[in-house]
Amino acid sequence: MKKISIDPITRLEGHGKIEIFLDDAGDVANAYLQIPELRGFEKFCEGRPIEEVPRIVPRICGV
Amino acid sequence: MAKLKLALYWSAACGGCDVAVLDINEKILDVANLADIVFWPIALDFKYHHVEAMPDKSIDVCLFNGAVRSSEQEHIAKMLRAKSKVMVSFGSCACFGGIPALANFATRAEIMERAYIEAPSNENPNKTLPQIKVSVPEGELTLPELYENVLTLAQVVPVEYLVPGCPPTVDLILKVVNALATNSLPPVGATIASDKTLCDECERKKENKKITKIYRTHEIIPDPERCLLEQGLLCMGPATRGGCGALCVKVNIPCRGCFGPPAGVYDQGAKLISSIASIYQTNGKQDIEKMVNELVDPAGTFYRFGMSISMLKRKLPQKR
Repeated sequence: MKKISIDPITRLEGHGKIEIFLDDAGDVANAYLQIPELRGFEKFCEGRPIEEVPRIVPRICGV
Repeated sequence: MAKLKLALYWSAACGGCDVAVLDINEKILDVANLADIVFWPIALDFKYHHVEAMPDKSIDVCLFNGAVRSSEQEHIAKMLRAKSKVMVSFGSCACFGGIPALANFATRAEIMERAYIEAPSNENPNKTLPQIKVSVPEGELTLPELYENVLTLAQVVPVEYLVPGCPPTVDLILKVVNALATNSLPPVGATIASDKTLCDECERKKENKKITKIYRTHEIIPDPERCLLEQGLLCMGPATRGGCGALCVKVNIPCRGCFGPPAGVYDQGAKLISSIASIYQTNGKQDIEKMVNELVDPAGTFYRFGMSISMLKRKLPQKR
């Protein structure tokens, strides 16, 4: 099966790639959006003082 | 002069550094006159294979923002290094690890578990975690390996310059642009900011007063004229490189150290501990214990932007 990779996807905030599989007729059999990125705010905000969190979470997305 | 070839890339980052480049407003037109941008995912549609196809050293300058915490990011960092004559660690994440390096207080397994299994917004009854390779009916999908450690760019490839800041300020970015335009880059290894501390450029009044209590930021409204540290607020100024224009302290907010350690300081946290020790009024062990108890989350504060280059390094994974 033929595979078309769009890597990276651009002109947006964040990281992503798209894999498109084509069948023998050249039609799209399936497509997958993948996010090759994890920073872990869910974890590393734990234990930080609550008054500091407004200075940390803006760095989730700075766009 | 032939136009420069400029690349910008984001690794483990938030995009704020890329947006900061646009914050130079109409001066971006000078950049357009000076350079052709050959890679910039946030703004232009070049793919990795386009970069791969470029000859080595064909990019004049690469401004690389973001920390390095996956096999893909390391691969792109090495690829851009090979293609670029000058590699710049752009922003606190690339320079020191930045906010993403707070992840070094947890293990990779804990981060994955929290993000993909425990987080209340998940619906993941099979507890599926991202895999490096996965077979789907149509073929195979791959993802990069998430590293145990969040690294700086310079921990992965040689780097010519550091431009710190979360994000780098407009003034600093213009300094870089002007240096490129006039071919007057500083000696290799330079940090493009002040060599002195933030305190050196802070206009607040310092009275060499001792403190008897460390306050959390919501507990007092500080006097806007006086040194924040001397009012008992933890301010990273003495342990932080200047060059930001004292942006946070000017609005009554203590510094959190995003410009990294000043020239000659090995460890930002150790430096701040020494500053606190010199102004905290103690009369014996009890006072020291009191002070320690008043410091909420010292590691996460002293190394807010610098875990990757800290003496602490990271939380050790548990032995199995």
